[in-house]
Amino acid sequence: MIRYFQFAFVLAALGLSLAAQSKEPPLPTRLGGDNGPRPAAAVPGRAIPRLPDGTIDFNGVWSGGGPVGDIGQQGGLKPGYLESIMTPSAKALYAKRSEAQDPYNYCMPAGVPRMAADFAWRLVQYPTTKPTHIFLLYEGNMHSFRQIFMDGRKHPVDPTPTWFGHSIGHWEKDTLVVDTIGFNDKFWFDRRGTPHTEQLHTIERWARPEFTKLTRVVTIDDPGAFTRPFDVRFTAELGSPDSEILEYICIENNQYGLPGGHDYNPVGK
Amino acid sequence: MKRIICVSLTIVALSMALVQAQELGRRLGGSNGPTPTTAEANRPAPKLADGTIDLSGVWTGGGGEEIGRLLKPGELDTILLPHTKKLMQSRNDGMDPYNYCLPGGPLRITGGFGWRLVQHPTVNAKYIFMLQEGNAHTYRQIFMDGRKHPVDPSPTWYGHSIGHWEGPTLVVDTIGLNDKFWLDGSGIQHTEQLHLVERWTRTDYTTMKREVTIEDPGAFTRPFTVTYTARLGTPESEIFEYICIENNQYGLAQGLQPPVKGEK
Repeated sequence: MIRYFQFAFVLAALGLSLAAQSKEPPLPTRLGGDNGPRPAAAVPGRAIPRLPDGTIDFNGVWSGGGPVGDIGQQGGLKPGYLESIMTPSAKALYAKRSEAQDPYNYCMPAGVPRMAADFAWRLVQYPTTKPTHIFLLYEGNMHSFRQIFMDGRKHPVDPTPTWFGHSIGHWEKDTLVVDTIGFNDKFWFDRRGTPHTEQLHTIERWARPEFTKLTRVVTIDDPGAFTRPFDVRFTAELGSPDSEILEYICIENNQYGLPGGHDYNPVGK
Repeated sequence: MKRIICVSLTIVALSMALVQAQELGRRLGGSNGPTPTTAEANRPAPKLADGTIDLSGVWTGGGGEEIGRLLKPGELDTILLPHTKKLMQSRNDGMDPYNYCLPGGPLRITGGFGWRLVQHPTVNAKYIFMLQEGNAHTYRQIFMDGRKHPVDPSPTWYGHSIGHWEGPTLVVDTIGLNDKFWLDGSGIQHTEQLHLVERWTRTDYTTMKREVTIEDPGAFTRPFTVTYTARLGTPESEIFEYICIENNQYGLAQGLQPPVKGEK
Protein backbone atom coordinates (compact mmCIF):
# COMPACT_ATOMS: atom_id res chain seq x y z
CA MET A 1 0.00 0.00 0.00
CA ILE A 2 2.80 2.37 0.95
CA ARG A 3 4.65 1.48 -2.19
CA TYR A 4 1.54 2.11 -4.25
CA PHE A 5 1.25 5.61 -2.80
CA GLN A 6 4.90 6.29 -3.49
CA PHE A 7 4.43 5.19 -7.07
CA ALA A 8 1.39 7.39 -7.48
CA PHE A 9 3.29 10.29 -5.94
CA VAL A 10 6.19 9.87 -8.35
CA LEU A 11 3.77 9.81 -11.25
CA ALA A 12 2.09 12.98 -9.97
CA ALA A 13 5.42 14.71 -9.52
CA LEU A 14 6.47 13.69 -13.00
CA GLY A 15 3.22 15.05 -14.35
CA LEU A 16 3.80 18.33 -12.52
CA SER A 17 7.34 18.69 -13.78
CA LEU A 18 6.18 18.02 -17.34
CA ALA A 19 3.48 20.63 -16.92
CA ALA A 20 6.03 23.06 -15.50
CA GLN A 21 8.27 22.61 -18.51
CA SER A 22 5.48 23.44 -20.91
CA LYS A 23 4.20 26.53 -19.06
CA GLU A 24 5.45 29.56 -17.18
CA PRO A 25 6.03 28.87 -13.49
CA PRO A 26 2.80 29.45 -11.56
CA LEU A 27 2.32 32.92 -10.11
CA PRO A 28 2.30 33.19 -6.34
CA THR A 29 -1.30 33.25 -5.17
CA ARG A 30 -0.81 36.38 -3.06
CA LEU A 31 1.68 39.23 -3.13
CA GLY A 32 3.58 39.81 0.08
CA GLY A 33 1.88 37.19 2.22
CA ASP A 34 -1.21 35.12 2.86
CA ASN A 35 -3.43 38.18 3.12
CA GLY A 36 -1.83 40.17 0.30
CA PRO A 37 -3.51 41.05 -2.98
CA ARG A 38 -3.51 38.66 -5.91
CA PRO A 39 -0.94 39.72 -8.49
CA ALA A 40 -2.19 41.52 -11.57
CA ALA A 41 -1.67 39.56 -14.77
CA ALA A 42 1.40 40.75 -16.65
CA VAL A 43 0.53 41.32 -20.28
CA PRO A 44 3.72 41.85 -22.34
CA GLY A 45 3.66 45.09 -24.25
CA ARG A 46 0.65 46.44 -22.42
CA ALA A 47 0.75 50.25 -22.42
CA ILE A 48 1.42 52.07 -19.18
CA PRO A 49 -1.81 53.86 -18.27
CA ARG A 50 -1.91 57.65 -18.18
CA LEU A 51 -4.22 60.13 -16.51
CA PRO A 52 -6.22 62.54 -18.69
CA ASP A 53 -3.50 65.17 -18.15
CA GLY A 54 -0.89 62.83 -19.67
CA THR A 55 0.98 61.94 -16.48
CA ILE A 56 1.59 58.32 -15.59
CA ASP A 57 -1.27 56.67 -13.72
CA PHE A 58 0.07 55.05 -10.55
CA ASN A 59 -3.37 54.45 -9.02
CA GLY A 60 -3.99 50.99 -7.69
CA VAL A 61 -3.24 48.50 -4.96
CA TRP A 62 0.47 47.67 -4.73
CA SER A 63 2.62 45.37 -2.66
CA GLY A 64 6.24 45.93 -1.63
CA GLY A 65 8.41 48.83 -2.80
CA GLY A 66 10.43 49.55 0.30
CA PRO A 67 12.76 48.06 2.89
CA VAL A 68 11.53 45.83 5.67
CA GLY A 69 14.27 43.77 7.26
CA ASP A 70 17.45 45.33 5.86
CA ILE A 71 17.49 48.55 3.83
CA GLY A 72 21.00 47.94 2.52
CA GLN A 73 20.51 44.37 1.39
CA GLN A 74 16.96 44.90 0.07
CA GLY A 75 17.94 48.18 -1.54
CA GLY A 76 20.75 46.62 -3.56
CA LEU A 77 23.83 47.77 -1.60
CA LYS A 78 26.90 45.67 -0.88
CA PRO A 79 26.95 43.98 2.54
CA GLY A 80 28.57 46.25 5.09
CA TYR A 81 28.42 49.37 2.91
CA LEU A 82 25.99 51.29 5.10
CA GLU A 83 27.95 50.50 8.25
CA SER A 84 31.05 51.83 6.47
CA ILE A 85 29.47 55.24 5.84
CA MET A 86 27.70 55.66 9.19
CA THR A 87 28.80 58.52 11.38
CA PRO A 88 30.22 57.44 14.76
CA SER A 89 27.04 58.46 16.61
CA ALA A 90 24.85 56.56 14.13
CA LYS A 91 27.09 53.52 14.39
CA ALA A 92 26.89 53.58 18.18
CA LEU A 93 23.10 53.86 18.08
CA TYR A 94 22.85 51.09 15.49
CA ALA A 95 24.98 48.77 17.63
CA LYS A 96 22.64 49.22 20.59
CA ARG A 97 19.42 48.41 18.76
CA SER A 98 17.67 45.07 18.62
CA GLU A 99 14.65 44.10 16.56
CA ALA A 100 12.41 43.95 19.61
CA GLN A 101 12.89 47.71 20.05
CA ASP A 102 11.66 48.54 16.56
CA PRO A 103 8.89 51.16 16.97
CA TYR A 104 7.15 49.56 14.00
CA ASN A 105 6.51 46.48 16.11
CA TYR A 106 4.67 48.71 18.56
CA CYS A 107 2.34 49.98 15.84
CA MET A 108 4.08 53.26 15.15
CA PRO A 109 4.16 54.64 11.58
CA ALA A 110 6.82 53.16 9.28
CA GLY A 111 8.13 56.50 8.00
CA VAL A 112 9.97 56.81 4.68
CA PRO A 113 11.14 54.81 2.75
CA ARG A 114 9.96 51.81 4.71
CA MET A 115 6.91 49.96 3.43
CA ALA A 116 5.29 46.93 4.92
CA ALA A 117 6.12 43.95 2.76
CA ASP A 118 3.32 41.87 4.18
CA PHE A 119 0.63 44.50 3.75
CA ALA A 120 -0.77 46.04 0.62
CA TRP A 121 -1.05 49.79 0.06
CA ARG A 122 -3.11 51.91 -2.30
CA LEU A 123 -1.80 54.87 -4.25
CA VAL A 124 -4.36 57.61 -4.91
CA GLN A 125 -3.66 60.50 -7.28
CA TYR A 126 -6.14 63.20 -6.37
CA PRO A 127 -7.94 64.74 -8.13
CA THR A 128 -7.60 62.44 -11.10
CA THR A 129 -6.73 65.28 -13.46
CA LYS A 130 -3.83 67.52 -12.47
CA PRO A 131 -3.51 65.99 -9.01
CA THR A 132 -2.78 68.31 -6.11
CA HIS A 133 -2.20 65.41 -3.74
CA ILE A 134 -1.00 61.85 -3.76
CA PHE A 135 -2.15 59.70 -0.89
CA LEU A 136 -0.60 56.38 0.08
CA LEU A 137 -3.09 54.38 2.11
CA TYR A 138 -1.49 51.59 4.10
CA GLU A 139 -3.43 48.47 5.08
CA GLY A 140 -1.01 47.90 7.95
CA ASN A 141 1.02 47.87 10.05
CA MET A 142 -0.48 51.06 11.25
CA HIS A 143 -3.64 51.49 9.19
CA SER A 144 -2.57 55.00 8.26
CA PHE A 145 -1.68 57.20 5.30
CA ARG A 146 1.03 59.39 3.86
CA GLN A 147 0.38 62.49 1.76
CA ILE A 148 2.48 64.08 -0.97
CA PHE A 149 1.72 67.61 -2.14
CA MET A 150 1.69 67.92 -5.94
CA ASP A 151 0.49 71.52 -6.23
CA GLY A 152 3.89 73.14 -6.57
CA ARG A 153 4.23 74.37 -3.00
CA LYS A 154 7.66 74.55 -1.35
CA HIS A 155 8.78 72.94 1.88
CA PRO A 156 8.11 75.03 4.98
CA VAL A 157 11.26 76.61 6.40
CA ASP A 158 11.35 74.81 9.72
CA PRO A 159 8.71 72.07 9.76
CA THR A 160 7.73 70.27 12.93
CA PRO A 161 9.34 66.83 12.63
CA THR A 162 6.82 64.09 11.81
CA TRP A 163 6.82 60.38 10.96
CA PHE A 164 6.13 60.95 7.27
CA GLY A 165 7.71 64.36 6.95
CA HIS A 166 6.73 67.07 4.45
CA SER A 167 6.63 65.63 0.93
CA ILE A 168 6.42 67.60 -2.31
CA GLY A 169 6.32 65.94 -5.69
CA HIS A 170 6.78 66.88 -9.32
CA TRP A 171 7.16 65.09 -12.64
CA GLU A 172 10.37 64.75 -14.59
CA LYS A 173 9.00 63.32 -17.81
CA ASP A 174 7.46 60.01 -16.73
CA THR A 175 9.15 59.85 -13.35
CA LEU A 176 7.48 61.10 -10.20
CA VAL A 177 10.09 62.81 -8.03
CA VAL A 178 9.17 63.20 -4.36
CA ASP A 179 11.30 65.35 -2.09
CA THR A 180 10.78 64.96 1.66
CA ILE A 181 12.21 66.74 4.70
CA GLY A 182 10.84 67.38 8.19
CA PHE A 183 11.21 63.84 9.46
CA ASN A 184 11.42 62.89 13.09
CA ASP A 185 14.19 60.51 14.14
CA LYS A 186 11.87 57.99 15.79
CA PHE A 187 11.15 55.48 13.04
CA TRP A 188 13.69 52.95 11.85
CA PHE A 189 14.52 52.34 8.19
CA ASP A 190 14.34 48.58 8.79
CA ARG A 191 14.12 45.90 11.43
CA ARG A 192 17.89 46.03 11.90
CA GLY A 193 17.53 49.53 13.22
CA THR A 194 19.43 51.43 10.53
CA PRO A 195 19.32 54.91 12.05
CA HIS A 196 18.74 58.43 10.80
CA THR A 197 18.42 61.92 12.29
CA GLU A 198 16.04 64.84 11.81
CA GLN A 199 18.41 66.04 9.07
CA LEU A 200 17.12 63.23 6.87
CA HIS A 201 16.26 64.28 3.33
CA THR A 202 14.87 61.72 0.89
CA ILE A 203 14.38 62.03 -2.85
CA GLU A 204 12.22 59.26 -4.29
CA ARG A 205 12.00 58.54 -8.02
CA TRP A 206 8.91 56.53 -8.85
CA ALA A 207 8.50 55.04 -12.33
CA ARG A 208 6.26 52.43 -13.93
CA PRO A 209 8.48 50.60 -16.44
CA GLU A 210 5.84 47.95 -17.04
CA PHE A 211 2.16 47.65 -16.29
CA THR A 212 2.54 45.56 -13.15
CA LYS A 213 5.72 47.10 -11.72
CA LEU A 214 6.58 50.28 -9.90
CA THR A 215 10.26 51.05 -9.41
CA ARG A 216 11.39 53.34 -6.64
CA VAL A 217 14.91 54.70 -6.35
CA VAL A 218 15.42 56.53 -3.06
CA THR A 219 18.31 58.87 -2.43
CA ILE A 220 18.94 59.10 1.29
CA ASP A 221 20.86 62.13 2.46
CA ASP A 222 21.39 62.51 6.19
CA PRO A 223 24.69 64.09 7.23
CA GLY A 224 23.78 63.35 10.84
CA ALA A 225 23.85 59.60 10.26
CA PHE A 226 25.78 58.96 7.03
CA THR A 227 28.98 60.53 5.74
CA ARG A 228 27.60 60.60 2.19
CA PRO A 229 24.23 60.20 0.42
CA PHE A 230 23.33 56.80 -0.99
CA ASP A 231 20.68 55.30 -3.28
CA VAL A 232 18.50 52.28 -2.57
CA ARG A 233 16.24 50.63 -5.15
CA PHE A 234 12.95 48.81 -4.67
CA THR A 235 10.17 47.38 -6.79
CA ALA A 236 6.47 47.22 -5.99
CA GLU A 237 4.09 44.82 -7.71
CA LEU A 238 0.54 45.60 -8.80
CA GLY A 239 -2.43 43.79 -7.31
CA SER A 240 -5.23 42.50 -9.54
CA PRO A 241 -7.93 45.08 -10.39
CA ASP A 242 -10.31 43.67 -7.77
CA SER A 243 -7.76 44.09 -4.96
CA GLU A 244 -8.88 46.05 -1.93
CA ILE A 245 -7.07 47.26 1.15
CA LEU A 246 -8.30 45.41 4.21
CA GLU A 247 -8.51 46.86 7.69
CA TYR A 248 -5.57 45.92 9.92
CA ILE A 249 -5.38 47.72 13.25
CA CYS A 250 -2.02 46.96 14.85
CA ILE A 251 -2.79 48.43 18.27
CA GLU A 252 -5.85 46.24 18.66
CA ASN A 253 -4.52 43.50 20.91
CA ASN A 254 -0.91 43.71 19.70
CA GLN A 255 0.91 40.60 20.94
CA TYR A 256 4.39 41.90 20.25
CA GLY A 257 6.37 43.61 22.97
CA LEU A 258 5.52 42.94 26.57
CA PRO A 259 3.26 39.93 25.91
CA GLY A 260 6.04 38.52 23.73
CA GLY A 261 8.58 39.06 26.51
CA HIS A 262 10.30 41.96 24.72
CA ASP A 263 11.74 45.11 26.16
CA TYR A 264 9.33 47.93 25.42
CA ASN A 265 11.18 50.88 23.97
CA PRO A 266 9.05 52.71 21.44
CA VAL A 267 11.64 55.37 20.76
CA GLY A 268 14.52 52.96 20.43
CA LYS A 269 17.28 55.16 21.76
CA MET B 1 -6.04 63.70 27.02
CA LYS B 2 -9.41 65.01 26.03
CA ARG B 3 -9.81 66.75 29.35
CA ILE B 4 -6.35 68.28 29.16
CA ILE B 5 -7.06 69.51 25.65
CA CYS B 6 -10.41 70.91 26.78
CA VAL B 7 -8.80 72.80 29.63
CA SER B 8 -5.98 74.14 27.52
CA LEU B 9 -8.41 75.05 24.78
CA THR B 10 -10.49 76.95 27.31
CA ILE B 11 -7.40 78.80 28.49
CA VAL B 12 -6.39 79.57 24.93
CA ALA B 13 -9.93 80.64 24.12
CA LEU B 14 -10.15 82.86 27.18
CA SER B 15 -6.85 84.58 26.57
CA MET B 16 -7.77 85.03 22.94
CA ALA B 17 -11.08 86.56 23.97
CA LEU B 18 -9.31 88.99 26.23
CA VAL B 19 -6.71 89.95 23.69
CA GLN B 20 -8.60 89.94 20.47
CA ALA B 21 -12.29 89.10 20.43
CA GLN B 22 -12.50 88.90 16.66
CA GLU B 23 -9.90 86.12 16.60
CA LEU B 24 -12.30 83.67 18.22
CA GLY B 25 -13.63 80.95 16.01
CA ARG B 26 -10.92 81.42 13.45
CA ARG B 27 -10.23 77.69 13.59
CA LEU B 28 -12.77 74.91 13.27
CA GLY B 29 -12.79 72.28 15.99
CA GLY B 30 -9.83 73.58 17.99
CA SER B 31 -6.69 75.65 17.86
CA ASN B 32 -5.11 73.31 15.31
CA GLY B 33 -8.24 72.93 13.19
CA PRO B 34 -8.71 74.26 9.66
CA THR B 35 -9.78 77.84 9.11
CA PRO B 36 -13.50 78.04 8.32
CA THR B 37 -14.64 79.15 4.92
CA THR B 38 -17.26 81.85 5.36
CA ALA B 39 -17.16 84.14 2.35
CA GLU B 40 -18.45 81.48 0.01
CA ALA B 41 -21.32 80.20 2.17
CA ASN B 42 -23.97 81.38 -0.27
CA ARG B 43 -22.48 79.66 -3.26
CA PRO B 44 -24.20 76.43 -4.29
CA ALA B 45 -22.50 73.11 -3.69
CA PRO B 46 -19.99 72.44 -6.49
CA LYS B 47 -20.51 69.58 -8.92
CA LEU B 48 -18.09 67.20 -10.54
CA ALA B 49 -17.96 66.69 -14.31
CA ASP B 50 -20.23 63.62 -14.00
CA GLY B 51 -22.91 65.74 -12.33
CA THR B 52 -22.51 64.37 -8.80
CA ILE B 53 -22.00 66.77 -5.93
CA ASP B 54 -18.37 67.43 -5.08
CA LEU B 55 -18.04 66.65 -1.39
CA SER B 56 -14.26 66.74 -1.39
CA GLY B 57 -12.27 68.99 0.86
CA VAL B 58 -11.06 69.33 4.41
CA TRP B 59 -14.00 69.27 6.83
CA THR B 60 -14.45 69.51 10.57
CA GLY B 61 -17.16 67.88 12.63
CA GLY B 62 -20.04 65.77 11.44
CA GLY B 63 -20.03 62.90 13.88
CA GLY B 64 -18.33 63.51 17.21
CA GLU B 65 -21.16 64.80 19.37
CA GLU B 66 -22.85 62.87 22.15
CA ILE B 67 -25.88 61.22 20.63
CA GLY B 68 -28.16 62.00 23.59
CA ARG B 69 -27.70 65.71 22.99
CA LEU B 70 -28.83 65.36 19.38
CA LEU B 71 -32.12 63.73 20.42
CA LYS B 72 -35.15 65.18 22.19
CA PRO B 73 -34.84 65.32 26.00
CA GLY B 74 -35.51 61.84 27.38
CA GLU B 75 -35.64 60.22 23.96
CA LEU B 76 -32.41 58.25 24.40
CA ASP B 77 -33.92 56.53 27.43
CA THR B 78 -36.71 55.10 25.29
CA ILE B 79 -34.21 53.83 22.71
CA LEU B 80 -31.71 51.98 24.89
CA LEU B 81 -32.46 48.36 25.74
CA PRO B 82 -32.11 47.68 29.49
CA HIS B 83 -28.70 46.01 29.20
CA THR B 84 -27.46 48.81 26.91
CA LYS B 85 -28.50 51.38 29.51
CA LYS B 86 -26.82 49.41 32.29
CA LEU B 87 -23.57 49.08 30.36
CA MET B 88 -23.59 52.76 29.45
CA GLN B 89 -24.03 53.72 33.10
CA SER B 90 -21.07 51.55 34.08
CA ARG B 91 -18.80 53.25 31.54
CA ASN B 92 -16.76 56.37 32.06
CA ASP B 93 -14.56 58.54 29.91
CA GLY B 94 -11.46 56.70 31.09
CA MET B 95 -12.68 53.49 29.47
CA ASP B 96 -13.31 54.89 25.99
CA PRO B 97 -11.19 52.92 23.46
CA TYR B 98 -10.93 56.14 21.42
CA ASN B 99 -8.84 57.65 24.20
CA TYR B 100 -6.42 54.76 23.80
CA CYS B 101 -5.87 55.57 20.10
CA LEU B 102 -8.17 52.95 18.65
CA PRO B 103 -10.30 53.88 15.63
CA GLY B 104 -13.47 55.80 16.40
CA GLY B 105 -15.70 53.88 13.99
CA PRO B 106 -17.68 55.46 11.14
CA LEU B 107 -19.28 58.22 13.23
CA ARG B 108 -16.38 59.48 15.30
CA ILE B 109 -13.84 59.50 12.46
CA THR B 110 -15.18 63.00 11.85
CA GLY B 111 -14.92 64.20 15.44
CA GLY B 112 -12.36 66.47 17.04
CA PHE B 113 -9.89 66.72 14.17
CA GLY B 114 -9.94 67.92 10.60
CA TRP B 115 -10.68 65.22 8.04
CA ARG B 116 -10.47 65.07 4.28
CA LEU B 117 -13.06 63.59 1.96
CA VAL B 118 -11.63 62.16 -1.27
CA GLN B 119 -13.76 61.03 -4.22
CA HIS B 120 -11.63 58.68 -6.31
CA PRO B 121 -11.37 58.76 -9.24
CA THR B 122 -12.72 62.27 -9.26
CA VAL B 123 -15.25 61.48 -11.98
CA ASN B 124 -17.39 58.34 -11.70
CA ALA B 125 -15.82 57.67 -8.34
CA LYS B 126 -15.41 54.07 -7.28
CA TYR B 127 -14.29 55.03 -3.79
CA ILE B 128 -14.79 57.67 -1.21
CA PHE B 129 -12.01 57.89 1.34
CA MET B 130 -12.27 59.76 4.61
CA LEU B 131 -8.80 60.57 5.94
CA GLN B 132 -8.71 61.57 9.60
CA GLU B 133 -5.96 63.84 10.95
CA GLY B 134 -6.35 62.28 14.40
CA ASN B 135 -7.03 60.39 16.56
CA ALA B 136 -5.71 57.18 15.11
CA HIS B 137 -4.55 59.07 11.95
CA THR B 138 -6.38 56.50 9.89
CA TYR B 139 -8.90 56.33 7.06
CA ARG B 140 -12.26 54.88 6.15
CA GLN B 141 -13.23 53.64 2.69
CA ILE B 142 -16.64 53.59 1.05
CA PHE B 143 -17.19 51.51 -2.07
CA MET B 144 -19.06 53.42 -4.79
CA ASP B 145 -18.83 50.84 -7.59
CA GLY B 146 -22.21 49.23 -7.05
CA ARG B 147 -21.00 46.15 -5.20
CA LYS B 148 -23.15 44.55 -2.51
CA HIS B 149 -22.21 43.83 1.09
CA PRO B 150 -20.50 40.47 1.62
CA VAL B 151 -22.76 37.89 3.23
CA ASP B 152 -20.89 37.46 6.49
CA PRO B 153 -18.10 40.05 6.75
CA SER B 154 -15.43 39.88 9.45
CA PRO B 155 -16.37 42.59 11.95
CA THR B 156 -14.08 45.62 11.70
CA TRP B 157 -13.81 49.12 13.18
CA TYR B 158 -15.14 50.80 10.03
CA GLY B 159 -17.24 47.93 8.71
CA HIS B 160 -18.16 47.40 5.06
CA SER B 161 -19.54 50.58 3.52
CA ILE B 162 -21.29 50.89 0.15
CA GLY B 163 -22.53 54.20 -1.18
CA HIS B 164 -24.78 55.52 -3.91
CA TRP B 165 -26.31 58.85 -4.86
CA GLU B 166 -29.97 59.77 -4.43
CA GLY B 167 -30.15 63.11 -6.19
CA PRO B 168 -27.74 65.42 -4.38
CA THR B 169 -27.49 63.12 -1.36
CA LEU B 170 -24.78 60.54 -0.83
CA VAL B 171 -26.30 57.50 0.88
CA VAL B 172 -23.86 55.17 2.64
CA ASP B 173 -24.92 51.81 4.03
CA THR B 174 -22.60 50.12 6.52
CA ILE B 175 -22.65 46.69 8.17
CA GLY B 176 -19.90 44.38 9.42
CA LEU B 177 -18.92 46.61 12.34
CA ASN B 178 -17.28 45.26 15.47
CA ASP B 179 -18.69 46.05 18.91
CA LYS B 180 -15.44 47.47 20.28
CA PHE B 181 -15.72 51.17 19.52
CA TRP B 182 -18.17 53.45 21.28
CA LEU B 183 -20.73 55.29 19.19
CA ASP B 184 -19.92 58.47 21.11
CA GLY B 185 -18.07 59.76 24.14
CA SER B 186 -21.01 58.99 26.41
CA GLY B 187 -20.39 55.26 25.98
CA ILE B 188 -23.46 54.15 24.04
CA GLN B 189 -22.98 50.46 23.45
CA HIS B 190 -23.80 48.61 20.25
CA THR B 191 -23.43 45.07 18.95
CA GLU B 192 -22.13 43.49 15.76
CA GLN B 193 -25.70 43.79 14.44
CA LEU B 194 -25.17 47.55 14.05
CA HIS B 195 -26.38 48.89 10.72
CA LEU B 196 -25.80 52.51 9.77
CA VAL B 197 -27.42 54.42 6.94
CA GLU B 198 -25.78 57.81 6.43
CA ARG B 199 -27.23 60.51 4.21
CA TRP B 200 -24.67 63.18 3.36
CA THR B 201 -25.99 66.40 1.80
CA ARG B 202 -24.01 69.53 1.08
CA THR B 203 -26.70 72.03 2.00
CA ASP B 204 -24.59 75.00 1.01
CA TYR B 205 -21.01 75.55 -0.04
CA THR B 206 -19.57 75.39 3.45
CA THR B 207 -21.96 73.04 5.23
CA MET B 208 -22.54 69.31 5.03
CA LYS B 209 -25.51 67.75 6.76
CA ARG B 210 -25.14 64.15 7.83
CA GLU B 211 -28.28 62.27 8.86
CA VAL B 212 -27.49 58.87 10.30
CA THR B 213 -30.06 56.19 10.95
CA ILE B 214 -28.73 53.87 13.61
CA GLU B 215 -30.23 50.40 13.79
CA ASP B 216 -29.13 47.65 16.14
CA PRO B 217 -31.72 45.24 17.52
CA GLY B 218 -29.07 43.98 19.93
CA ALA B 219 -28.76 47.37 21.62
CA PHE B 220 -31.74 49.59 20.77
CA THR B 221 -35.54 49.27 20.94
CA ARG B 222 -35.92 50.81 17.47
CA PRO B 223 -33.93 52.49 14.70
CA PHE B 224 -33.37 56.19 15.30
CA THR B 225 -31.88 59.08 13.38
CA VAL B 226 -29.42 61.75 14.44
CA THR B 227 -28.24 64.73 12.41
CA TYR B 228 -24.69 66.05 12.46
CA THR B 229 -23.18 69.02 10.66
CA ALA B 230 -19.70 69.31 9.17
CA ARG B 231 -18.11 72.62 8.17
CA LEU B 232 -15.71 73.20 5.31
CA GLY B 233 -12.17 74.46 5.84
CA THR B 234 -10.60 77.02 3.52
CA PRO B 235 -9.21 75.67 0.22
CA GLU B 236 -5.64 75.74 1.52
CA SER B 237 -6.52 73.61 4.56
CA GLU B 238 -4.49 70.47 5.01
CA ILE B 239 -4.76 67.69 7.50
CA PHE B 240 -1.77 67.38 9.78
CA GLU B 241 -0.10 64.29 11.15
CA TYR B 242 -1.39 63.44 14.61
CA ILE B 243 -0.22 60.09 15.95
CA CYS B 244 -2.19 59.31 19.09
CA ILE B 245 -0.11 56.33 20.15
CA GLU B 246 3.04 58.41 20.17
CA ASN B 247 3.42 59.22 23.84
CA ASN B 248 -0.30 59.13 24.67
CA GLN B 249 -0.74 60.60 28.16
CA TYR B 250 -4.25 59.35 28.63
CA GLY B 251 -4.93 56.13 30.51
CA LEU B 252 -2.32 54.61 32.77
CA ALA B 253 -0.28 57.80 32.82
CA GLN B 254 -3.26 59.48 34.49
CA GLY B 255 -4.11 56.58 36.73
CA LEU B 256 -6.97 55.37 34.57
CA GLN B 257 -7.71 51.74 33.94
CA PRO B 258 -7.27 50.90 30.26
CA PRO B 259 -10.36 49.08 29.07
CA VAL B 260 -9.19 48.31 25.58
CA LYS B 261 -10.76 44.86 25.56
CA GLY B 262 -14.07 46.44 26.50
CA GLU B 263 -16.42 45.05 29.07
CA LYS B 264 -18.97 42.46 28.14
